[in-house]
Amino acid sequence: MMAAVGAPEVISQLESAAKVLMAPPSMVSTEQRQHAEHIFLSFRKSKSPFAVCKHILETSKVDYVLFQAATAIMEAVVREWILLEKSSIESLRTFLLTYVLQRPNLQKYVREQILLAVAVIVKRGSLDKSINCKSIFHEVSQLISSGNPTVQTLACSILTALLSEFSSSNKTSNIGLSMEFHGSCKRIFQEDDLRQIFMLTVEVLQEFSRRENLNAQMSCVFQRYLALANQVLSWNFLPPNLGRHYIAMFEATQNVMLKPTESWRETLLDHRVMDLFFTVHRKIREDSDMAQDSLQCLAQLASMHGPVFPDENAQVTYLAHLVEGLLNMINGIEIEDSEAVGISNIISNLISTFPRSVLTALPNELFASFINCLTLLTCSFGRSAALEEVLDKDDMVYMEAYDKLLESWLTLVQEDEHFPRGCFVQPAVQVFNSYIQCHLAAPDGTRNLTANGVASHEEEEINELQEDDRELFSDQLASIGMLGRIAADHCIPLLTGLLEDRVTRLHGQLQRHQQHLMASADPGTVDRKVLDDLYEDIHWLILVSGYLLADDPQGETPLIPSEVMEYSIKHSTEVDINTTLQLLGSPGEKATSIPGCNRTDSVIRLLSAVLRTSEVESRATRASLTELLSPQMGKDIVWFLRRWAKTYLLVDEKLYGQISMPLSTAFGADTEGAQWIVGYLLEKVINNLSVWSSEPELANDTVELLVTLVEKRERANIVVQCENWWNLAKQFASRSPPLHMLSSTVQRTLMKALVLGGFAHMDSDTKQQYWAEVLHPLQQRFLNLINQENFAQICQEEAVKQEIVATLEALCGIAEATQIDNVSSLFSFLMDFLSSCIGLMEVYRNSPETVNLIIEVFVEVAHKQICYLGETKSMKLYEVCLTLLQVYSKNNLGRKRLDVAAEEDQYQDLLLIMELLTNLLSKEFIDFSDTDEVFRGQEQSSGAGRAVSAADVVLYGVNIVLPLMSQDLLKFPSLCNQYYKLITFICEIFPEKIPQLPEELFKSLMCSLELGMTSMSSEISQLCLEALSPLAEQCAKTQEKDTPLFIATRHFLKLVFDMLVLQKHNTEMTVAAGEALYTLVCLHQAEYSELVETLLSNQRDAVIYQRLADAFNSLTASSTPPTMDRKQKVAFLKSLEEFVANVGGLLCVK
Amino acid sequence: MADADLDFTTGDAGASATYPMQCSALRKNGFVVLKGRPCKIVEMSTSKTGKHGHAKVHMVGIDIFSGKKYEDICPSTHNMDVPNIKRMDYQLIGIQDGYLSLLQDSGEVREDLKMPEGDLGKEIESKFDAGEEILVSVVKSSTIQMSVSIQTLIITVLSAMNEEAAVAIKAMAK
Repeated sequence: MMAAVGAPEVISQLESAAKVLMAPPSMVSTEQRQHAEHIFLSFRKSKSPFAVCKHILETSKVDYVLFQAATAIMEAVVREWILLEKSSIESLRTFLLTYVLQRPNLQKYVREQILLAVAVIVKRGSLDKSINCKSIFHEVSQLISSGNPTVQTLACSILTALLSEFSSSNKTSNIGLSMEFHGSCKRIFQEDDLRQIFMLTVEVLQEFSRRENLNAQMSCVFQRYLALANQVLSWNFLPPNLGRHYIAMFEATQNVMLKPTESWRETLLDHRVMDLFFTVHRKIREDSDMAQDSLQCLAQLASMHGPVFPDENAQVTYLAHLVEGLLNMINGIEIEDSEAVGISNIISNLISTFPRSVLTALPNELFASFINCLTLLTCSFGRSAALEEVLDKDDMVYMEAYDKLLESWLTLVQEDEHFPRGCFVQPAVQVFNSYIQCHLAAPDGTRNLTANGVASHEEEEINELQEDDRELFSDQLASIGMLGRIAADHCIPLLTGLLEDRVTRLHGQLQRHQQHLMASADPGTVDRKVLDDLYEDIHWLILVSGYLLADDPQGETPLIPSEVMEYSIKHSTEVDINTTLQLLGSPGEKATSIPGCNRTDSVIRLLSAVLRTSEVESRATRASLTELLSPQMGKDIVWFLRRWAKTYLLVDEKLYGQISMPLSTAFGADTEGAQWIVGYLLEKVINNLSVWSSEPELANDTVELLVTLVEKRERANIVVQCENWWNLAKQFASRSPPLHMLSSTVQRTLMKALVLGGFAHMDSDTKQQYWAEVLHPLQQRFLNLINQENFAQICQEEAVKQEIVATLEALCGIAEATQIDNVSSLFSFLMDFLSSCIGLMEVYRNSPETVNLIIEVFVEVAHKQICYLGETKSMKLYEVCLTLLQVYSKNNLGRKRLDVAAEEDQYQDLLLIMELLTNLLSKEFIDFSDTDEVFRGQEQSSGAGRAVSAADVVLYGVNIVLPLMSQDLLKFPSLCNQYYKLITFICEIFPEKIPQLPEELFKSLMCSLELGMTSMSSEISQLCLEALSPLAEQCAKTQEKDTPLFIATRHFLKLVFDMLVLQKHNTEMTVAAGEALYTLVCLHQAEYSELVETLLSNQRDAVIYQRLADAFNSLTASSTPPTMDRKQKVAFLKSLEEFVANVGGLLCVK
Repeated sequence: MADADLDFTTGDAGASATYPMQCSALRKNGFVVLKGRPCKIVEMSTSKTGKHGHAKVHMVGIDIFSGKKYEDICPSTHNMDVPNIKRMDYQLIGIQDGYLSLLQDSGEVREDLKMPEGDLGKEIESKFDAGEEILVSVVKSSTIQMSVSIQTLIITVLSAMNEEAAVAIKAMAK
């Protein structure tokens, strides 16, 4: 279009379009704007726009038009690369560079765009042997040596443009190059050109650092080169021979560690380079922007590893030099706020990068000063972080730096056997002390004190979404806990002493309040300040104690930390076991009042300090002082007890090389201590559930403690011997206060715990009795209720509804308690309910929340049990799910949902149904059942053929869900994801069922796939593409032509073909799309040839035609004729990549 | 094992208008009396003042008759009034002078419910005239009288008996 009109017309057209785009929104209409945008778009797509663009650049005065001209050149060069004469490319590059040099006053964005075009040309040329772009570095170094700041800045911009063009992978798809192409360019670049850039940069920095004073302009240039150096040192060096997939993954990593190739050895092991960066930092450290860059450069140097080091000696020398430099830099300066994070990055990088053997090979004195410096720095950052918290600063730089350093300590001490014995004890004591000090109130600590010692105490509103400190600060606490173990001799007694003291004070304070309340009836006079200070102290002491004494590993048996075990063993000779047990067993008494309390085991004493806290709390509730207590402290106590119980209760001696006598005597299996503590914990749980029903989080933590007590068979065995346990079960079954006031999640978990307890060891009579107390009432009440004659009339009454809801919640809880060894009895129990539940679906069809809960029961049962069920049982479940779906479908038929714009949770039922179907499907890939092994003895194998299969149920369900899933609903992410997960699962698992679907359903399924492929997120698009191969394979298997599926796949062939060949697509998708395309091509070879023919016949240009034809030929060359064979498929995918890189961009030309 | 104090057979006689319930035991989609009005709870969240404070419950409810929004915040230990809501389904057998004739399960016909006003009323009328079978749900919150929710499996309608206004209660249908 553009070629047809003369250059001046083009310019004036573009300039007026630019005017429209730049005009304020009120001045132009949307149509005008769109039209203007269109003009630029088509201008950029025009063929060989080079002459016009040059003309524009030389004559136009409108910046935006200049910018677009540069963009057009860049896009066209890549698009038409193979058609262009190499010499004209070269002259184009020279033209652009000269253009920029001659116009120092260009707008920044125009200049950057032109330089980007230059960089793209250099990059595209770097793999093309016929063109040499190396001269650019020579030109740049000349610019730098000019001494003119403006020219030097320009030189820096050129280098920066080159660097970003070669470094980042997200630029790749923009110019239609494959990851592999990108990778190769990058590898060549990083070997040579990158180092050249680095050398140039270092020279500039050296030059500048020698100058006494820099004027503003100079300092600006300096800053740019410093940033450039940082970019080079943060280069993500691509290792040789990294596959395409890995490249993408590799490029995505953040916080790149410096791992240069061997060729960088000479450059980076030169001490002068590192010295330069220390010097530079010293010079500019007061400028917070520049200091960030210089510290980041040092941090990158501190992370250096890999083949750049010839041997370990070289590493030691390098590290020693680094540490010396660092200590010189830190010592004797007052650290600026802006330096904290940078310095902590340097330390954290060097500790995590250099192997222990290198660290220990440092000269002793140097290592000692380093550890000493690290200790002081950590304590100081910790104090500053606490100040930041008091001042409620938005930008918590010290907190970030403190976190980093604590993390480094964890790395160091976790492998402390490599270091001289005990070398971390003193530092650990210091860091631990300072942490405790920052978290305790005055006078022992400095909590909430501002720098000048003024206390601030604000009560802010905290909502339920805010994380608890134990999660919010879990990383910090883990490090502090670890340091506490290292220095157990100091830290455990310290914590014990502080906690015992606070508990005594709390006890006294509560007593005073009680007397006060009895004297005057006005509770308003209670000053909570003292209490709150005590609660906050206790809060932190318990958190630290919990993290010190035990870990909380997910899914494995937690062990007593070896340091704690050793500490207990070391002192066991001085310990009097009986006094220890007495101390443990009398939480109501003050520890120090027990004679001989100093000859007790310290680990047990720390636990008993928490038990004392718990006892004070329980007594206060009995004295009706609950109002004065802190629910947060209540949470801390049960959280601690749970963590402790998992590790210490019924300690299994077989798991340890050596065991502490006091610990095994107090908590071992078959000990009175263990029995006593189980009883105590149970009592605590029961008390909490009745007193704290109004505190959802505390009730939740409490009931989780209960689950911990019963989820392990050994512990459950003791629990079920307690009378309290039985009382709890009875009370819950009777659904009376206070337990029925608990929130529904807590009730559910309580039910789960009660069921788990039922699988403890009991004689058969007791067991029968237990179930009679726990499960039968549930069944009985339920049956009594629904079998009442007038149930139909009363079913909508709130009281009845609540009873039903409570039952459904309990059923979910029961399902949650499923384990492999109880699944057989729980399944039978739940099955009886499931059919009744379906009846309730009818009754409560107008009460969505009840319907949702009913479906949820099914979802839970399927989720927890299906993987254990054998064929017969699975079938039963499928059948009952099918009935559920039928009822659901009937009730939803023709139902109009109010407020289409309503919230997501109104579609909860749909989401649940899809979840149910996905759970049922999961049987196909997660199956632990051994043909009804867990049910053996209960039933004879039925032998009859399958009546209902998972596929039937799921497809029936899809039949219901599909018509309800409108495009509007797909806008809700959760519904959309669940839906596509479901339908692509179906295509992958039951491709043979797809052709048998009813016509309408089949159609909407195919529509959904198309929609998902073309207009959803890339994740969903990928899912849909993955679903296509099994469908095409299915067609190939049956060899029937003209089936709807066969026809549909033909349509998909065109879609995928267009997607891969004609549209710009996400490179991540090439594999999924390629696999789909290949199977589709196998199936529809003739149609594929036709598509190719049509595409080729549209090409007017003979050169392009030939190039395309060749590309298509080589695409299928390795797989002719295409067959569904893995080897061929892989070959095809490989050629496809070349194909996309070669002609992908070409075909995008309009 | 059925509890003596759980009696589902008792009719209206003696049923109190409300019964108390601990705030924390209320649940979303349940009912509560806010500012003297029976409401369906549409939002519930908890918060506390200071780290060691006690939980407070924040509730947003929609008046099941007027559709008006009410809010309340109170300590979670607080006892709130829960309205006794009843709901009955009838078949619509006629419309006379703006009143609905409803057939009860027992065979009796009640004619004390006014036709809802607005679009809903018109919709009922046209559906009824077209000969469609219409089910009407009547919602009753003891003293605050009746109201209707209708289902032809398509629409939900409500009307109030003592309070003249007949309104669609979206809150009920959700």
